[in-house]
Amino acid sequence: MNWSDIVGLGLFASGLQLAMPTALAAVGEAFSERAGVLNLGLEGMMLGGALAAFAADYHSGSAAVGVLAGVGVGVLLGALKAFLSVTLKTEQVINGIVLVIFVQGVTAFAYERLFGSAGTQPEIPALQTVRVPGLASVPWVGPVVFEQNVLFYVSLALVPAVWLLLQRTSFGLAVRAVGESPAAADSVAVRVDLVRWLALLVCGAMAGFAGAVLVIGDVTLFGTNVTAGRGWVAVALVIFGRWNPLIVFGGALLFGITDALQLRIQAASGGSNSAVPFEVFQALPYVLTLAVMVLATVAQRRSAQPAALGIPFRKEVIE
Amino acid sequence: MKPPVVAMRGIVKRFEGVTALDGVDFELRGGEIHGLLGENGAGKTTLMNVLYGLQEPEAGTIEVDGRPVRLRSSQDAIAHGIGMVHQHFMLVPTLTVAENMLLGERGGLLVRRRRLRAAAERIRERAERYGLEVNPDARVWQLSVGEQQRVEILRALYRDARVLILDEPTASLTPPETEQLLPRLRALADEGAAIVFITHHLEEVLAWTDRITVLRHGKLVETVRPQETSAVALARSMVGRDVTLKELGVEVSTADETGHAPTSDAPLLAVRGLECRGDLGVTALHGVEFALYGGEIVAIAGVEGNGQAELEEVLCGLRPPTAGTVAIAGRDVTHEPTAARLARGLGIVPSDRYRRGVIRALPVAENLVFDRIGELPFGTPFRVRRKAVASRARELVDRFSIRVSRLDQLAGTLSGGNAQRIVLARALSRGVRLLLAAQPTRGLDVGGMEFVWARLDEARRAGVGILLVSTDLDEVMALADRCCVLYRGRIVASWSRRELDRERIGLAMGGVVEAPGRPAGAGEVLTRR
Amino acid sequence: MTAAETGFVLPGVSRRGAQARTLLVSAAGVVLAFLVGGLLVLVAGGRPVAAFRSMFSGTLGSGFAIGELLVTAAPLLLIGLGLALAFRGRVYNIGAEGQLFVGALAGGTVALELGGPGPLLIALAMVAGIAGGALWASVVGVLRARFRVNEVISSLLMNYVGIFGFDYVVRKPLGDPAAGNALASRQLPDETMLPSIPHLFAHVGIFVALGAVPVVWYAMRVTPFGFRVRMMGLNPEATQVAGVDTRRLIVVLMAVSGGLAGLAGVIQVVGVEGRMDGGISASYGFTAIVVALLGRLTAPGVLAAALLIAFLNVGGQAMSVDNGLPYSIVLAIEGVFVLFVLIADRFARAAR
Repeated sequence: MNWSDIVGLGLFASGLQLAMPTALAAVGEAFSERAGVLNLGLEGMMLGGALAAFAADYHSGSAAVGVLAGVGVGVLLGALKAFLSVTLKTEQVINGIVLVIFVQGVTAFAYERLFGSAGTQPEIPALQTVRVPGLASVPWVGPVVFEQNVLFYVSLALVPAVWLLLQRTSFGLAVRAVGESPAAADSVAVRVDLVRWLALLVCGAMAGFAGAVLVIGDVTLFGTNVTAGRGWVAVALVIFGRWNPLIVFGGALLFGITDALQLRIQAASGGSNSAVPFEVFQALPYVLTLAVMVLATVAQRRSAQPAALGIPFRKEVIE
Repeated sequence: MKPPVVAMRGIVKRFEGVTALDGVDFELRGGEIHGLLGENGAGKTTLMNVLYGLQEPEAGTIEVDGRPVRLRSSQDAIAHGIGMVHQHFMLVPTLTVAENMLLGERGGLLVRRRRLRAAAERIRERAERYGLEVNPDARVWQLSVGEQQRVEILRALYRDARVLILDEPTASLTPPETEQLLPRLRALADEGAAIVFITHHLEEVLAWTDRITVLRHGKLVETVRPQETSAVALARSMVGRDVTLKELGVEVSTADETGHAPTSDAPLLAVRGLECRGDLGVTALHGVEFALYGGEIVAIAGVEGNGQAELEEVLCGLRPPTAGTVAIAGRDVTHEPTAARLARGLGIVPSDRYRRGVIRALPVAENLVFDRIGELPFGTPFRVRRKAVASRARELVDRFSIRVSRLDQLAGTLSGGNAQRIVLARALSRGVRLLLAAQPTRGLDVGGMEFVWARLDEARRAGVGILLVSTDLDEVMALADRCCVLYRGRIVASWSRRELDRERIGLAMGGVVEAPGRPAGAGEVLTRR
Repeated sequence: MTAAETGFVLPGVSRRGAQARTLLVSAAGVVLAFLVGGLLVLVAGGRPVAAFRSMFSGTLGSGFAIGELLVTAAPLLLIGLGLALAFRGRVYNIGAEGQLFVGALAGGTVALELGGPGPLLIALAMVAGIAGGALWASVVGVLRARFRVNEVISSLLMNYVGIFGFDYVVRKPLGDPAAGNALASRQLPDETMLPSIPHLFAHVGIFVALGAVPVVWYAMRVTPFGFRVRMMGLNPEATQVAGVDTRRLIVVLMAVSGGLAGLAGVIQVVGVEGRMDGGISASYGFTAIVVALLGRLTAPGVLAAALLIAFLNVGGQAMSVDNGLPYSIVLAIEGVFVLFVLIADRFARAAR
């Protein structure tokens, strides 16, 4: 096994690419949780976004159209989640699981209907790598960060944008307030349910975009299991990142690099005949997520969890 | 003559058939402090919620500066210069003071640094003018209760409120903080503001207001000047019958002068060196020590937010202590679950009765026995005996005069007083030796309060040791055989019945312990009198 | 309001109106499911009537078809019962799929590796399967009870770990050398297979699943244990103050639901596949969530829902074969169905 092949700059470049969909979804989830809505439908939103992006890209031949379609479906699913959680106030854990089951069923059917089940698997063209002039020649960082495809750069720009939205705008202020103390926000005429609706649309857009980035920017294929639990991992990363979008994003990137590492070790160690079974590597990201989530939960002294997370807001008469 | 700033006429408001306000008139002039009195449920808060746009009345008119207005949201009210400070503060604890001020303000999507700084500047300016100093960059959860209230008042002023509604502003303040607040309100009124002051402290009303309006059962009883009335007369209008002041808890002493002698030799509850962390990770209890014997009531007095909630949770087994021990009837239960404590004879009346005392979605009958559902006669490990549950429930409903229509009525539909009777009935009917009663009369009306106090007294006479955690000075004075004061997580003072003094307790609640007042030495409290 | 907050039907309390509404919603859901199904068949270019005909004949048309229906319903029923119990206590175990595989692995290994008389081995395998699933799920329970780790995410992540573990064991140590690197263990000896029911083409394991229905019903509705579970689901803090060891109860609920999933896994091995391979579960662990929710977290409801979902799954296969329609129609129907019931239930409650 050649370790310099495994732990090279390529590792980081592919790790970042691998991590991006999960990272985007996690940032979206952090946003919705800061508004007090636990979105366990994230996996479904990513999957829905992925199929829409794939189909639109395949038929139009344009990645941009694909991305728009992915984001659009994500927003729609965000609206569905908001309807269930905020308008109807059904239990958020349950409606999240139901949303995933719903999307899994519908995408399975839609994919078969659109592409048929037999024959060769349809594929969309991979995006070209865009070297950022100047920056790409910066040693170490250049090849890792600045030799990626367009979607990567868009993603990279989107994360601080979401952070700014949360930390530096009136809307973000309202989001933070309704997640922590909806009654207080309501008393100063912040429309709690509206803010939560909008936060879920943002989350849906991010998750749909994450799905688009996954299929258009990375795998170029679609399968009903293409998201492979990334949505769930993203929810766990929000806990790890203490509900701060930037830390959540950083955590997701670290996570992606470890994922890339295991893939490379797995490839280098000879697949099914290696001494270490490849299942160990396959399970590794999930074990790692679990461990990280447990550690983060145990380690935090002051809970960073938004106080109203998961609790629907009902205006109560104060008497 | 200038029209009154606010004139409410014939206001009617109903909740699911119950008439909360029945044609109430209310008038407010600039420059006055207007006291609003009434029992719990008399409609004080509802009337003010109507004025603040939180509830729309079914009938009646509201005029501001002589012009009729419709207040459909708090935003409408704010636009008309009406501000309200709720009894439970409406601040977001994780945001800064300045961010709380900006919240809900229209104009500009971006919250730029400049806007925050401008807000902070404006806060400082107002704060200085009215003597309400507070740091605009502090996070609200780091502030004391008194400071948070200042933030609330400042927020109303920040929005140029000319009408300021204060819902029981002194309820959660220490006496020194109260003494600070009231002159400031006077100063505000002198500048022309109209202030509504909701309270049930008769003395405060008499001393600090210009006019007093009394409500009873949603109806206006009278509007008088303080010079024209007295505490006894006000109390009579509030309750609608002649009451002794004792009932109102103004000056009460149900315990006799020397207090009750404990009936057990060994302590039923011994707490030593107890420390724990609060929700935000800050140490909430520091070396708390006391002991409790059978047949006595020991009160833990103090203003809310000084560790009472955490103490209650540690004693119940809901919050792990970081140091120290808790022993019940001689056995160390520090690390034992709630069940083991209950088995040692602990009974619990939790401070938050809807969160921890009753299960709203279960029927009254089951709520009355749910802590013993697997024990005989209510059941075996394999079967719940419904008949035994129902017959015990019937008995308890009678004994504790719980007003229910049917035994299968859901507990969530009961009034606070009846819910508390369920909690009390359950706790006292299981052979308790030690009762933890946390804020047992909070939010109850006079009748409910009397009932609870009588039951606690009865249990004491029967030899039960009672730990009374209370923020209500009247309650402490009425019941306690001994009293400790909890301030910032420490027991700063403790007295026996003979030494109990309203003023001294009040000062200690604010952290002021007089030199001769004995500090809470560990050995001191643990030894028997 | 959440299902748990409003309270489910309480023992001894007459809630006829609520029950009637629940039944009405379920019936409307079934009708809607078929309407949506018909629509999807049209979209896929098929004829709804023909499609439904083959669905019915594929599930009820012959002894073989009925057997297939019951055999498919069995794991859904077992897992669904456990999940209904856990969900009642607001312990959201969504790791049943992994628990099924771990249980199958434990039980299958016993059946494959231990010698002895067949019936005894089968019994031992079932015990091992229950223990395997229960232990696997308990990890999640302990994490939640001790450290407040969100059980939804941890149980979901444990699925992957459990399934990859299963894959490894059946590929390597217990793998069939003849099958190369296929993900399948060696074949079980015949005597460790569950006997079939004559004329029905179904193994006797379906009786185990059916037998679990009254047991779970009794536990939930009659015993103090069931009462405590309901209490915890309605108000965990009050339950704790009432002296119930809620931490233990959380672990117990995880273990019971995991154990039932493990049992389902063993039954799939010794009743259907005859070896350990991926075919033991068609996502039963996930579909059972649908079953538990559609069954309104009651034992009889879960029985009905398991049969209905099994009908859709088995019938869907027949439809797919007969009419050349995509099987995924069934998945879409189930998704729409469960979403509809969630929404309709909410409105039925609001109508009170």
